Amino acid sequence: MSTTAPETPQAMTGDEGTIAIEMRNIRKAWPGVVANDNVSFTVQKGEIHALVGENGAGKSTLMNVLYGLLRPDAGEIYVNGKLAHISGPRDAIALGIGMVHQHFMLIPPLTVGENITLGREPVYNVDVFDTAKANANIRELSAQYGLAIDPSTRTSDLPVGLQQRVEILKVLYRGADILILDEPTGVLTPQETDDLFVVLRGLVKRGKTIIFITHKLREVLEISDNVTVLRRGKVVGHLVTKETNQEEIARMMVGRDVLLRVEKPPAKPGEPLLRVEHLNVTSEQGIPAVRDLSLEVRSGEILGIAGVEGNGQSELVEALAGTRQVVSGHIQIGDAAITNIGARKIRSAGMAHIPEDRRESGLVLNYSIADNLIFGHQRDDTFTWKGIMLRLQTIREWAERLIKQFDIRTPSPDIAARALSGGNQQKVVVARELSSKPKVLLAAQPTRGVDIGAIEFIHRQLVAERDSGAAILLVSAELDEVRSLSDRIAVMYEGRIVSFEPADATEERLGLLMTGGGQKQEHASA
Amino acid sequence: MQLIGQILHLLITPALWQTTLESGVLLLLPALGGVISERSGVVNIAMEGMMLTGAFAAVAVAEVTGNPWISTLVAIAAGGLMAVIHAVVSIRFRADQIISGVAINIFAFGITAFLNSKITNFQGFNPVKPSAQLPYLHIPILDKIPFFGPIFFDQNIIVYVGLFLLVAVQFMLFRTRLGLRIRAVGEHPQAADTAGINVYSIRYGSVIASGLLSGLAGAFLAIGITNVFNDGMTDGRGYIALAAMIFGKWTPIGSFVACLIFGLGTSIVANNSTLNVSRDLLSMLPYILTLVVLAGLVGKSIPPAADGQPYTPGSE
Amino acid sequence: MAAPQAPTKPAKPGETSMPVIWAKQLGRLIGAPIGSVIFAFIIGAIIVLITGGDPIQAYQGLFCGGIGLFCTGDLYSSITPALEISSTIVFATPLIFTGLAVALPFRAGLFNIGAQGQLTMGAIAAAAVGIHYASWPGFILLPAVLIVGTLAGAAWGGIVGVLKAFTGAHEVVTTIMLNYIAAFFLYYLLRGGPMQLAGQPEISANVGAGAQLPHFLNGNGQLFGQPIGVYQAHTGILIAFAVAVLFYILLKRTALGYEIRAVGQNQRAARYAGISVKRTLIITMLIAGAFAGLAGGVEIAGLSHQLTIRYATDSTGFDAIAVALLGANAAIGIILAAFLFAALRVAGPVMQGNANVSQNLVDIIQAVILFSIAANFLRTFKIRLPALRQTPPGEDAPMVATTVTELEDTEPSEPAEVGDTA
Repeated sequence: MSTTAPETPQAMTGDEGTIAIEMRNIRKAWPGVVANDNVSFTVQKGEIHALVGENGAGKSTLMNVLYGLLRPDAGEIYVNGKLAHISGPRDAIALGIGMVHQHFMLIPPLTVGENITLGREPVYNVDVFDTAKANANIRELSAQYGLAIDPSTRTSDLPVGLQQRVEILKVLYRGADILILDEPTGVLTPQETDDLFVVLRGLVKRGKTIIFITHKLREVLEISDNVTVLRRGKVVGHLVTKETNQEEIARMMVGRDVLLRVEKPPAKPGEPLLRVEHLNVTSEQGIPAVRDLSLEVRSGEILGIAGVEGNGQSELVEALAGTRQVVSGHIQIGDAAITNIGARKIRSAGMAHIPEDRRESGLVLNYSIADNLIFGHQRDDTFTWKGIMLRLQTIREWAERLIKQFDIRTPSPDIAARALSGGNQQKVVVARELSSKPKVLLAAQPTRGVDIGAIEFIHRQLVAERDSGAAILLVSAELDEVRSLSDRIAVMYEGRIVSFEPADATEERLGLLMTGGGQKQEHASA
Repeated sequence: MQLIGQILHLLITPALWQTTLESGVLLLLPALGGVISERSGVVNIAMEGMMLTGAFAAVAVAEVTGNPWISTLVAIAAGGLMAVIHAVVSIRFRADQIISGVAINIFAFGITAFLNSKITNFQGFNPVKPSAQLPYLHIPILDKIPFFGPIFFDQNIIVYVGLFLLVAVQFMLFRTRLGLRIRAVGEHPQAADTAGINVYSIRYGSVIASGLLSGLAGAFLAIGITNVFNDGMTDGRGYIALAAMIFGKWTPIGSFVACLIFGLGTSIVANNSTLNVSRDLLSMLPYILTLVVLAGLVGKSIPPAADGQPYTPGSE
Repeated sequence: MAAPQAPTKPAKPGETSMPVIWAKQLGRLIGAPIGSVIFAFIIGAIIVLITGGDPIQAYQGLFCGGIGLFCTGDLYSSITPALEISSTIVFATPLIFTGLAVALPFRAGLFNIGAQGQLTMGAIAAAAVGIHYASWPGFILLPAVLIVGTLAGAAWGGIVGVLKAFTGAHEVVTTIMLNYIAAFFLYYLLRGGPMQLAGQPEISANVGAGAQLPHFLNGNGQLFGQPIGVYQAHTGILIAFAVAVLFYILLKRTALGYEIRAVGQNQRAARYAGISVKRTLIITMLIAGAFAGLAGGVEIAGLSHQLTIRYATDSTGFDAIAVALLGANAAIGIILAAFLFAALRVAGPVMQGNANVSQNLVDIIQAVILFSIAANFLRTFKIRLPALRQTPPGEDAPMVATTVTELEDTEPSEPAEVGDTA
């Protein structure tokens, strides 16, 4: 019973009794990006509704609109059949909507009880916080929903799974009937995920409605009743979970309408240039992010890493680039070990790095284009006299050459990088990194947020770099990009490479692997 | 050996400890203000200026009314007014809170000295008349207890007020709903906002509270201790209070301990006629101690997580 | 700023030509400081007015006393404009050094409130050398005095950098503490300590003649009716200019300056590019301390020739913050701002003596300038003038590094960032 997005929503009357949330024709755009494009979304009372899509598909934006954190440019929201004006979280809470954010909204030094009751604290003697009553309320609530927790623990002392439980209790304490969970399993172990699912089923049994944002399809099939799939800001389908399968959802999620053909001759792989053995890296929160990962990239080949974002790709790239500490394992370029030797030495060993977020890590936005084009090479003899004085004339000529060579659209190299469009900013990063003639190139999301023209240009540059003998590790959340550029594909899931696939692997197979399917379920072991 | 004897002698002098408590409470009041303000996430290095404004207002009003209570109330309000400027500039305009604090301190120095010369036609205020001074409370009988009597029961009234406020602020911050909200806003304003707490009003209130407390300290200094107004008379006490707050790890009780240590320093300097050590070298000690604490040599002092960060709703 | 070169090709439609962009950048760069100064003078006038004074007379006093202009009428006929200008130069000299000492760390994202303490330590060290080796010839002694002052300031600033880099101790608090430690150390030295001149309160002996920087005007005659000796402007201002040029070169022309600015703009990107943030922060504070320490040395060698309590008690270190902010942390701006504040400081007593308005009006003006730059009140006006704002080809509007960018930058540029922590 798969249907496409209903263009005209049914009249609100008649469904009053069964529909919890109806969002009609929501549009939200930022300069250059349409995050939600005429999105309509309906949730029945008492169901678990999965909202799925790749990163950047517009899921979080849609839910932030519903929770009042963002104002839509157009569209209407009906809650329990009534038109709602939600201008902030307070309004959403009043309407019985609660949200468990991907990044928890908990205050670490406060106790569980204080966190849960914050904003609606029980008091006596005018304003004295009634710890006993708060704790009693919470115990009652915990018992009611089967969410055991000790209200007097310091929140920072809890493991992540229990912190999430606190977040859910916080929402329930505020009387929410409709719970939005934004990527709730992203930070959980498989065991904790199972516990969460038990909790969610219990909540539904008690009449709650749940919107579950995820990109892990195994979970969608396991927990949800209905599925809405978003791609590039648009609804691409509503599905009934029982009547669909992982392949169908995966196909809808990754899509096949945009086909970016890259003209490239067959690869002629040479000797291995990048070798990674048994690498372990932890995330900011101290959770293992890369687990016992080994790979090898040869001269003249592009190894693409496919995976849904948040499965350890960022941490892998940072560890290779030297901006994140390696816990254990070994990395080498050619014959030189580069494990934990620092970003500067890794660069001089022949590594170049296109970071995934050009604005945060790739550019100094207030620097001129010329200055950005030597970033990281400011002490090279080419650009500096005896490591002290910058050779301004050389830098300028260099910049003018790269601007021409990489087709960076700017009236002058003296313009601040901030003033360029996303595509041209990215070309600045690519130009700089390729111009150092690297042995190994790390290309993380090399075309994120740039226009089609720039995408094609950057792709051609990467292939040319491969053909001149570099080893390229490509990480992209765009499956199309990985498939069209790579000579081999490694699929990453939960910090491991679950499979090496040939370049012509089907989307369905990759999509399945990326979302934790198509493999033996090793779920209980972790 | 002689030096040790001198030190021992000094340590059993009640006057030493009496002055220690007095100077300690003088620092405690702005330090409490700093604790409240920074717990709500607004960095406050402007206690110096707020205190100076209070001192000026107290002396000016005392000259006119001759009433210490009215003077003290006006001083508190004047400190609060300075705090309003800091609050508007750093919360509403999201200015750098440190620059705003520096500007408050310069502004307070300028405006008090300016008004001082204007009102007195460059003559300066007369010393505060005894009847307009904040009184000392001699608690009968108890003040006759040897050694402890003079220390605890023969003090300026503001010392007792200060000790009461210490308990009150400690209780407020850690036991009341208001305190919970202040701490929440200072640690994680987004979380507080999504929980339905008005981040701005909490921050405004906290910054203004720091001004009121600093204004009270100014009154204590000007019409309770020195009984005269001189330009810039706070002489860095607001900055020492800031140091005490950090030393005390942003807690009222901890700050009080630090204030007592700094007060002891002041007191030794004031009572060191028997000690053969430069008072200037002694005066350095509180600052060196604070540096040592900051360097993490004596336990780490960590500010509230969102201290100094302007809050923009909807952003993370 | 890189030297503006007119682009050879004509601007395409939709793109703004470079000269227009430069003009706008310049406008933004100097608009806020000039606006802040005007705003502060208006507030000052209002305060004078409501306290029953005459703002026109007061400001005439400031102009006459500071730069020797408008010394007309009976009130100011006794003022010697040349002497006022000379005094302004004297006051501007340490403000340029310390303004640079605040500005450099600002560029690296650090707030140096400690220029005062660094200056004090520089003065102490310079005076110690100048007194102890008073008999040395000038060509050795003078450089020695200045270098030792510089090193002492660098050490004092370096402590801040090391604490920041290795323990994360906030530089604002450490610099305030170090200011007091330096001040009490100076008091100790001059109040019964080893540097006190026997029988004299709170001053040291004079440094040797060889340690003195020459004045611009020398001799025993008279000039504009005043003995030449009172024209104290000394060649230290030339050293200040030289250091300002050095500052400019350091920031704009050296790899180190490039790295300092990168750390200040985007620490994360700097780390990605292989720049050691810790090392950069420490070096920045060492250099900043050196600037302020040299100020102390120059003051000893050029002006006071002896150590006095003033080195810890005057307002140079805090004026320096205003100088750096008003001067937009750029060399030329700092020089101009230093002269402005020096003129105000010199003019204060003239205004007080002749217009009967307290010289503390200068502090008020200075504070309002700080508020206005920090809070960027003028931004409010800018938003009401959309015609002045051009939208560049990119995703967000502003082209220059000013606080104007804050508003736009809070908008997420990509939907994926919405749920992320900053």
